[in-house]
Amino acid sequence: MNFFQKFAEEFKQNFIDEDRWMYLVKGLGTTLQITVLALILGLILGFTVAIIRSTHDKVCTKKGGHFFLRLGNGICKVYLTIIRGTPTMVQLLIMYFVIFGSVKIDKVLCAVLAFGINSGAYVAEIVRSGIMSIDNGQMEAGRSLGLNFRRTMTFIVMPQAFKNVLPALGNEFIVLLKETSISGYIALQDLTKGGDIIRSQTYSAFMPLIAVALIYLVIVMGLSRLFTVMERRLAKNDKR
Amino acid sequence: MKMKKSSLMVIAALMSVTMLAGCNNTANTSTSSTASKATSSAATSTVTSENASTATTSAASSTTDASAVESTASDTSAAGEEYDPAGKTIAVQTGTTGDTYATDLEKNPEEGKEPAKIERYSKGADAINALKQGKVDCVIIDNEPAKVFVSKNDDLQIMSNPFADEDYAMAVKKGNTELLDKINGALKELKEDGTIEKILNNYIGDDTGNFKYESPADVKRDNGTLTMATNAHFPPYENVEGNKIVGIDPDIMQAVCDKLGMELVIEDMEFDSIIPAVQSGKADVGVAGMTVNEDRLKNVDFTDSYAKGLQVIITKK
Repeated sequence: MNFFQKFAEEFKQNFIDEDRWMYLVKGLGTTLQITVLALILGLILGFTVAIIRSTHDKVCTKKGGHFFLRLGNGICKVYLTIIRGTPTMVQLLIMYFVIFGSVKIDKVLCAVLAFGINSGAYVAEIVRSGIMSIDNGQMEAGRSLGLNFRRTMTFIVMPQAFKNVLPALGNEFIVLLKETSISGYIALQDLTKGGDIIRSQTYSAFMPLIAVALIYLVIVMGLSRLFTVMERRLAKNDKR
Repeated sequence: MKMKKSSLMVIAALMSVTMLAGCNNTANTSTSSTASKATSSAATSTVTSENASTATTSAASSTTDASAVESTASDTSAAGEEYDPAGKTIAVQTGTTGDTYATDLEKNPEEGKEPAKIERYSKGADAINALKQGKVDCVIIDNEPAKVFVSKNDDLQIMSNPFADEDYAMAVKKGNTELLDKINGALKELKEDGTIEKILNNYIGDDTGNFKYESPADVKRDNGTLTMATNAHFPPYENVEGNKIVGIDPDIMQAVCDKLGMELVIEDMEFDSIIPAVQSGKADVGVAGMTVNEDRLKNVDFTDSYAKGLQVIITKK
């Protein structure tokens, strides 16, 4: 009984008193907002870069090749090198204190840009691996049937590639969600920071940390469930 | 085919432009941001006098004992104009006394005034940086670090402010009365022989740098180690110089350890981790300054006060 009383008191002190649970609710909102927007930005960036890179790899095998395609590929490579070569936290701080150093910018927007650009680099390589995994014969078949490059890409290559990369993409989304936990460094009150604020007020470590961990866990479990369902749907036409 | 390639080109061009813009910005502003980073940040434990006397085990004598350091407190009253933080965006370091005040301004604004907006940074220096960049209106931070920040940044100023004097004290694990009594005893001796005043005057006031605390040569350290948790971003109380943590708190704790015959070990951590570290026994004593409030008293005990402090508001000129 004593244990439960203590637990209840701890719970009350950490979440009920002074409406501290609001820190977690508001933080969760911010976390989800950043994650979803960064996800969209990351997908757009990632798919663009992947298409440029894989087209380059398929078309420009020899010394020749299209000049702009080579230029685009070069820029994409620089982007990937910089983003994958530096820690996300440093990128976030650079985004906030350096790139937007002299302007009053909405911090959520700043975080979305930082995380979106970061995620884009990883999505790009995932999607590129998917595109490259599709046999060249698919493209050749499409083109020889009279489809142009864009249509072959959209209707033949991409659907197959997407199915292949879905698990890896799901992985990247989960990583992105959890990575937003560093937004506290630019004084954004995300879920982790919400827990930190409670911790700094009550000085008990257990309750706020476990609560925050559980919330992340539940979201990630939901996400992986979603991806399992999607995978199953997409696998339907594999069975003959 | 042609269409596709031209659109690719546009994307490529856009990307290169944004990247170049980013690089230029980096070059322009990095100097200023690293310079202010180097001034580093804030963390000191403050015990408000009234709260300290209600502390369960000790600190009953804190108000009287603090007389030894009264002289240093007199120059803490900031000059500057009046500044009303109501309705403003306030930057603080998470878990500091400034955070407590700002949270109060946000949650319980005075009658007819707008609630303040609070932004909690992990480091005091980041809060100062945000102020310099115009992202927030003001910073609430302890007086002595504020002076250091303002002295290093010409565009900042300390305003006169509504906050009361506080006493700095050390946090000890709840119920560890043995250590608490030992530290209080050592502090009392150090106050009586003037050591604490000398250490404080070495860092604060007009006559700094004239006294370097050194352990007596004949100290026997056979009573084990004393681990002190601190957040070394809080000049002049503690900051990192070279690879050593120096300042008022390390000096005083060294003196205490010399009295107790113990070896001092200093652990540098985030400010809001100090009390949990003391509580869980990862550190014996937290010396980095906290205001005693109900929540903190539930978790740790505080020693007698050894210095006075004050929260001040910093704004841009």
